[in-house]
Amino acid sequence: MTWVHTWFGLVLGFVLMVCFFFGSLSVFDREIDRWAIPETRFDAQPMPSFDKVLLPALQQLEPDEVDYATNMPRLHDPAKGEMTPRTELPVDEYWAYVTHRDPVLAAGVGYGVPLAKNPEDHNHIHKNVTLDPRTGAVLPDDKLKIGSDWFYPMHYSLQLKWKNLGIWIVGLAALMMLAALVTGVIMHRKVFREFFTFRPWKRTQRASLDLHNLTGVVALPFHFFFAFTGLVIFASFYFLPVTSTILDPLHKQHEIHEAASTGLPHDAAGMPGAMGSVDAMVDEAKRRWAARDMAGEVGFLVMHHVGDANSYVSIYRAGSDRVALVGEGIHFKTSTGEVLSEDPPRTPVSEVNEFLTGLHLQHFEHWFLRWLYVLGGLLGAVCIATGFIFFVEKRKSQHAKSGSNGSRVVDSLAVTTVTGMVMAALGMLVVNRILPADMLGKADWEKAAFWTVWALSFVHAYVRSAPVAQGLFNPAWREQCWGVVVLSISAVLLNWATTGDHLVKTIFTDTYWPVAGVDLSLLACAIVSAWAALKLARRERGVSVSQKKTEKQPDSEAGGVAHA
Amino acid sequence: MPEALYLSAAVLLSLVGMAWLALSMDVHWAQFKQIPLAESHPPKVILKALGYTALFVSLVVCLVADRPSIAALVWIMLMVGSAVAVAFVLAKKPGLARIFWPFQV
Repeated sequence: MTWVHTWFGLVLGFVLMVCFFFGSLSVFDREIDRWAIPETRFDAQPMPSFDKVLLPALQQLEPDEVDYATNMPRLHDPAKGEMTPRTELPVDEYWAYVTHRDPVLAAGVGYGVPLAKNPEDHNHIHKNVTLDPRTGAVLPDDKLKIGSDWFYPMHYSLQLKWKNLGIWIVGLAALMMLAALVTGVIMHRKVFREFFTFRPWKRTQRASLDLHNLTGVVALPFHFFFAFTGLVIFASFYFLPVTSTILDPLHKQHEIHEAASTGLPHDAAGMPGAMGSVDAMVDEAKRRWAARDMAGEVGFLVMHHVGDANSYVSIYRAGSDRVALVGEGIHFKTSTGEVLSEDPPRTPVSEVNEFLTGLHLQHFEHWFLRWLYVLGGLLGAVCIATGFIFFVEKRKSQHAKSGSNGSRVVDSLAVTTVTGMVMAALGMLVVNRILPADMLGKADWEKAAFWTVWALSFVHAYVRSAPVAQGLFNPAWREQCWGVVVLSISAVLLNWATTGDHLVKTIFTDTYWPVAGVDLSLLACAIVSAWAALKLARRERGVSVSQKKTEKQPDSEAGGVAHA
Repeated sequence: MPEALYLSAAVLLSLVGMAWLALSMDVHWAQFKQIPLAESHPPKVILKALGYTALFVSLVVCLVADRPSIAALVWIMLMVGSAVAVAFVLAKKPGLARIFWPFQV
């Protein structure tokens, strides 16, 4: 048990640290997007009028050049005729998606592929855009959404896209985390007796083990459910990809049967059809949801077989009032607005699945619970970080005697994945504010800054880790804490200097909580890091305040006696 | 606004409940009272009963504030946060636990 917990925990702990930290940031990914893209700093909007805002905007779009160049030759059958030019592809699908936290709207068009190799397949060339829902204006898409397009994918894929390697590594880490939780509880034994135990006045090895046990045991339900639901979300990817491989023909047949049973046309009729008012369909969908006592905002809207007699519109409710994801779809015939079908009540299996995935993806509108999620994520990060520290503290004296470099390497990696990772994220925000908004390739520079800061933090951590080989503390912990302080405060000041959005404005005079929240979190991060750096400096000098207390104060003696 | 009040009440109940459960343990009672472990005799039954009751009432208040699915998550996460907060209070400022148990017993 100990071997499994120690070694799998250590090796995959570095991955889990990334998952926990960026998972915590992802709780507020849209707010970080607003901070990083100042031109999108306006209030969250509900789904705008399809007839007046979305349709005119979507009709202006053209198929994406890169998608066309990459996928058109793969989908088109040259034996049937010439490839249709990009701008002449017929529109087959419109869609729009919004959440209660998004001022901007994600929307797109799916263009059909004439003379396709497999006409039964879902043959589409896409154009996805970000729209200003107030006007329908297409917003520039070359800016990196640091929260939702960088920190969030980092959480589940480590940004390792080659053959989805990152997703597989994270899956393995989540699986091993479940094993580590079970083995940890078995090893700990005194789960209830030491439930509230934390003795910071003891030496670092004991204190870090206490904190490791405390954050591991107390937040056990959070750790277990998030590792488990993470695996559930990717279950079809990890365990059951057969539906898109060997069972693909069956899958397609099932699609056709399902379409027949719901009355929703699977294929286009090949005859032109009119388009009724989609706004009227949205009103009818809201009326039906209200009759079922459900919050009535639209989360996702999609029009299939655009311009065809078989065209239909599917409207899904935004699940912001409950844990389960969007649903309760109502489907309308596009030409007449007649209701074709309503999604039936979910089966118990589907209900459980949607609850578990919704629990992890947290689309709900509950700010307090979102912050509690951040707390849970950070407790997970503390649990892993203290595990690293315990590992090093337990072995570094022995390694110093034997001349081994093991502790030094592990300590350097721990510094890199704790303070170094925070510095990388902060460095990215700082570079985001320094570089001009209209700079060509700004997103690439931001990504480069992230990796560079992270790599430099490892170099720094290793270069400064010589004392570990002598059984002492690595000063890189303290120095990188100061790095976090400098970068956090710089990010807040640069945000003020480049946008005029200082905290007095975003909290009091022109309240805008997404940006104020990010700035306040950065300042909180700076304060905690400064406190940690001062504490570490004292420990390095061998004059730990807590140790002093143990020696001098009788009240701490009582605690010490009590835990003896 | 009523939801914020309910959630505040749930936070307090969860915190107090966890504190009472912690104080019902000999080791933490000794920490709180600044006495050796051998002399630690907390009123275990009362503290445990109060602790579990407070946590249960906290769940009820969460259920009043939100839908059951959300309320269950809030309640669990509140207990997580409260337990950590109590552990830190006992470790750093055990005297502060007087807020939760101002009696001489």
